[in-house]
Amino acid sequence: MFKKILIANRGEIAVRIVRACREMGIAAVAVYSDADRAALHVQLADEAVAIGPAPAVESYLDMERIIRAAHETGAEAIHPGYGFLAENADFARLCEKEGIVFIGPNSSALELVGDKVRARQAMEKAGVPIIPGMKSIPNTVAEFKAAACDIGYPVIVKASAGGGGKGMRIVAEDKELVPALEAGRREAKSAFGDESVYLEKYIEEPRHVEFQVLADNKGHTVHLFERECSIQRRHQKIVEETPSPALDDKLRSKMGETAVRVMKAAGYNNAGTVEFLLDKDRNFYFLEVNARLQVEHPVTELVTGVDLVRQQILMAAGEPLTLEQNALFQRGHAIECRIYAEDPLIRFLPSAGKILFLREPRGPGVRCDSGIYGGWSVPIDYDPILAKLIVWAETRELARRRMAAALDDYIVLGIRTTIGFLKDVVQHPEFKAGRLSTAFIPKHFEGWQGMAKDEEILRLARTAAAFAELDHAERESSAPFRGPRKSEASPWTTSGRWRIGGA
Amino acid sequence: MDFEHLIEGQVRRIGLEKKGATYVVRDGDVVFEADIRRISEHELMIIVGGRSYAVSLARDGDRMCVFLEGREFVLRPPGEDAGGFHRGEEKGLDESLVVKAPMPGKVIKIEVAEGDEVRKNQTLIIVEAMKMENEIKSPIDGLVKKVFAKAGELVDSEKILVELELKK
Repeated sequence: MFKKILIANRGEIAVRIVRACREMGIAAVAVYSDADRAALHVQLADEAVAIGPAPAVESYLDMERIIRAAHETGAEAIHPGYGFLAENADFARLCEKEGIVFIGPNSSALELVGDKVRARQAMEKAGVPIIPGMKSIPNTVAEFKAAACDIGYPVIVKASAGGGGKGMRIVAEDKELVPALEAGRREAKSAFGDESVYLEKYIEEPRHVEFQVLADNKGHTVHLFERECSIQRRHQKIVEETPSPALDDKLRSKMGETAVRVMKAAGYNNAGTVEFLLDKDRNFYFLEVNARLQVEHPVTELVTGVDLVRQQILMAAGEPLTLEQNALFQRGHAIECRIYAEDPLIRFLPSAGKILFLREPRGPGVRCDSGIYGGWSVPIDYDPILAKLIVWAETRELARRRMAAALDDYIVLGIRTTIGFLKDVVQHPEFKAGRLSTAFIPKHFEGWQGMAKDEEILRLARTAAAFAELDHAERESSAPFRGPRKSEASPWTTSGRWRIGGA
Repeated sequence: MDFEHLIEGQVRRIGLEKKGATYVVRDGDVVFEADIRRISEHELMIIVGGRSYAVSLARDGDRMCVFLEGREFVLRPPGEDAGGFHRGEEKGLDESLVVKAPMPGKVIKIEVAEGDEVRKNQTLIIVEAMKMENEIKSPIDGLVKKVFAKAGELVDSEKILVELELKK
């Protein structure tokens, strides 16, 4: 087994991997950019290496720097987390060349599934159902236009190298195509360092159902059932759960077997996810392989009892996978909400800044995978994910209620987050009924105005603010040895310097 | 003592007087007693009429964030517009004709030039933050009077990006 692993990532996923390393008795090396010197993953790791300035291309995406950090610290393996270099075949190959184990699939499988166009061809050949779309990446706008006409509008622009909604644009008609291609390319370039995009038929209101797969280096492959990730905003998943309310045992095993077939066709090893779209008639189509640990992996961990990060590390070290398909089952229900630093009241604009106070929820069946702490300043340079709140309970309805209660207990002061919005999402009658689709958010939450106003709660908030000012003033004046007094008058008292008498 | 807060777009006044171990709260015609304890720098517990509330709060300059019952409120001093103050060249601009950066980020592309005619909701500038592109759109049909930003520039929230003018 490895003695030391370098984690080429940041935020909550780096923290998650540090924890797995610690439990396995493996030393964890963090890397950090200038913007992340004080980040949580740096605090928790055993060693930390500075790898460059804030922009990701000069730090978390800089392969040479990361390899050098691994050599300097004597790390035998690199865990890439998700995003950044996680699905970069060049990086996996570089690790192989440098004698460092890349904790993920082998570089040729990564290359195949990472090239969405080639992956589609391979899967079509393996008899896996696929969505109509382009079979190669064209060079000219005219070729894109012709392909879009062939496929038939609406089409979707997708980044060849990526996922997570980056670079994606839905195009309803011909005249929207060029700006969508341009924007998609720019976003793809900045997120993945590769600007190639392709087109696919856009299926309206599908469900997004994906299967977790584990495959050891000898080819023993199992799936750990599905995750439903239909609740998305700007093509980015925000709520995920398992089991999916849309699957029965028959469809589940059919899709699970297909997922295993996909991975075998790709020569895949380590942990990966096969994404499918499920249409209204319960047809499923292969979408893509996410060749990494997924953001939403904890829901699978909670219902299967398998620690996916630990399995990744074991398999990367060459250990055989000891899980057998017929011994795996789903127990209870798990839901995850992604907590983003975004303001749901202003078009979900990113909200970087200092976290003045943080209290994360606790309780039976509540797990919080977090990359933040009170007093930390969230930088503007990276993805806005702060943390993930995951709950487990016996049934979907119990899990849903547990999630709503836990979100109520989730306190992040100082920056705007999506917590209040998520609470309304899980309490929506259609969510409760399990009627989910990728159109759920635009359909039910367009122009969301925030939670209902309550005069009594508002009054208590004002009371608390007034008390804090009064208490502050009292404590200052009663201090026995008063230091140089801050002459800061409360801006809220009506006798303060800001406002006299309440005119 | 009386306090005034700008909360949810309204200025509201509230009175708080100490009475033994509790406080008398006066909000217009509503008067009640509240037992308020500070349990840490950022946490209070309040009991009103037998109902118990846990409250968290944090002050950031002139902004007070208060969280209770699963909701967060931001309180500001009265008389301060939410946009804050303007600096230098930005003084004296007509608020309805300026387009500001809605969040801190990096200017990726400027889609218009000075003198261009623009339609309402036409994209003026694209600003990227946290790896998402945000299209900043024109609030009016009009002309571009001045562009204050450059591609590649890092901008703060509320920084003025474009000044527009109405068509004559």
